[in-house]
Amino acid sequence: MPAEHLARFLSEHWGEPVSISGLKRFHGGSARQTYRFDAHGASGRHAALVLRRDPPSSLIETDRLAEYRALECFAGSDVPVPQPLFCDTGADSFGSPGFLMREVPGGMAAGLLEPEPYGDHAAAIGRQLFTALGRIHAEDPARATLPAIAPGDAAPARLAHWRAAFEADRFRPEPVVDAGLAWLAAHLPPPPPRVAIVHGDYRSGNFLHDGAGRLLAILDWEMVHAGDPLEDLAWACDPLWSNFSGRPGATLPLAEAIALWEAASGEALDPVRWRWWRLFAQVQGLVIWISAAREVLDGRSHDPVLMFAGTIPYRFHTLTLARALETLN
Amino acid sequence: MSLPLPVLLGALAQAQATEVAPALQLLGQPGAPDANYAGGTAATSALMLMLAAAECAALPIREAALAAAARPLVGDAATGRDARVAALGALANREALVLLANAAEAEWQSIAGPLGLPLPVPVE
Repeated sequence: MPAEHLARFLSEHWGEPVSISGLKRFHGGSARQTYRFDAHGASGRHAALVLRRDPPSSLIETDRLAEYRALECFAGSDVPVPQPLFCDTGADSFGSPGFLMREVPGGMAAGLLEPEPYGDHAAAIGRQLFTALGRIHAEDPARATLPAIAPGDAAPARLAHWRAAFEADRFRPEPVVDAGLAWLAAHLPPPPPRVAIVHGDYRSGNFLHDGAGRLLAILDWEMVHAGDPLEDLAWACDPLWSNFSGRPGATLPLAEAIALWEAASGEALDPVRWRWWRLFAQVQGLVIWISAAREVLDGRSHDPVLMFAGTIPYRFHTLTLARALETLN
Repeated sequence: MSLPLPVLLGALAQAQATEVAPALQLLGQPGAPDANYAGGTAATSALMLMLAAAECAALPIREAALAAAARPLVGDAATGRDARVAALGALANREALVLLANAAEAEWQSIAGPLGLPLPVPVE
């Protein structure tokens, strides 16, 4: 992403000559390319901005407009998100579909293999994280202009989505995934009391904190959709995102996380749906990691991040899913 | 790993040329637009090379042990990872699932060991 390209776009957008400094691409985030930069207008106007745009090869196929609208829905609310500024679903503005948002200064994100990423502030981060998740789920999906879905379709639709992705991308025998999909299909859960905004990738690594116990912003809304809120809660509480701590998101004990979510969402945890969505989370994860490996296998990408996804998380979820299936009837 | 080892090794070799070499060129230029990305790419590639090397060393012994454990259930199909896994999956019984889970644990430990990672810790 050349700075000249951004300068040209912002000059047109701001109506004055704009120069760009501090352009930096962030590592990771295979579903989007993410850059930060400073824009300086000739009048003295300044903004620290972040651009997220589609890469040539993505780990998951996602909708950038849905992500942008989700940010618009929560901007300025008690769910912290970066302020969205401009979205282009075509390639004219940024070379590929993408959007601009304000940078969240001073934020840091946890690494997958980093032990105790929040130090002494783990519980404080967890309280904010699971309260924010409950607030997301208390919001009306129509406010994010998400396609409507009937409560009874929430689980079958997600199962069909990931089954289709699996069938498209599988390249080796995967009997553990086959068995997981079969169990999920045979034990569909009751519908949620109401459909909610589902972030779709709510987990450690996808939010910013200040290193002193304050949650700054929920990021990476590219998989947002309407559905069962327990889909998010189960994904957030999956062991993969616990940094081997045994605590959801490496924050606070599971019971406390659930209680906070219940208080903020206004919904009581349904243990039958909960069991289903927890197994679903592992199947979904495995399909994502298999799709990442398929990108490499087919030569569409040589990004080591995709190789990593197809290796460590893949083996982690193969093991946890196999052990989980052993305990189910 | 989901990628067969020869595919991973080939992809890593390709990545050194197309992703890592350009990245290394940027590492000495902190002001370059892609320097942050370059550092992450180089580090992730190094991690993957380490895991691939560990896998090369561990694979023959692990495969022999997993084949021996599966042979009473699936016979000659036990030889060769994909055929064995497919045959165990086709059985779709608890005994086969236990073998698949044990194989998954052995595969996890072969890459977790070099990284100093434990077995997955349940969140419950």
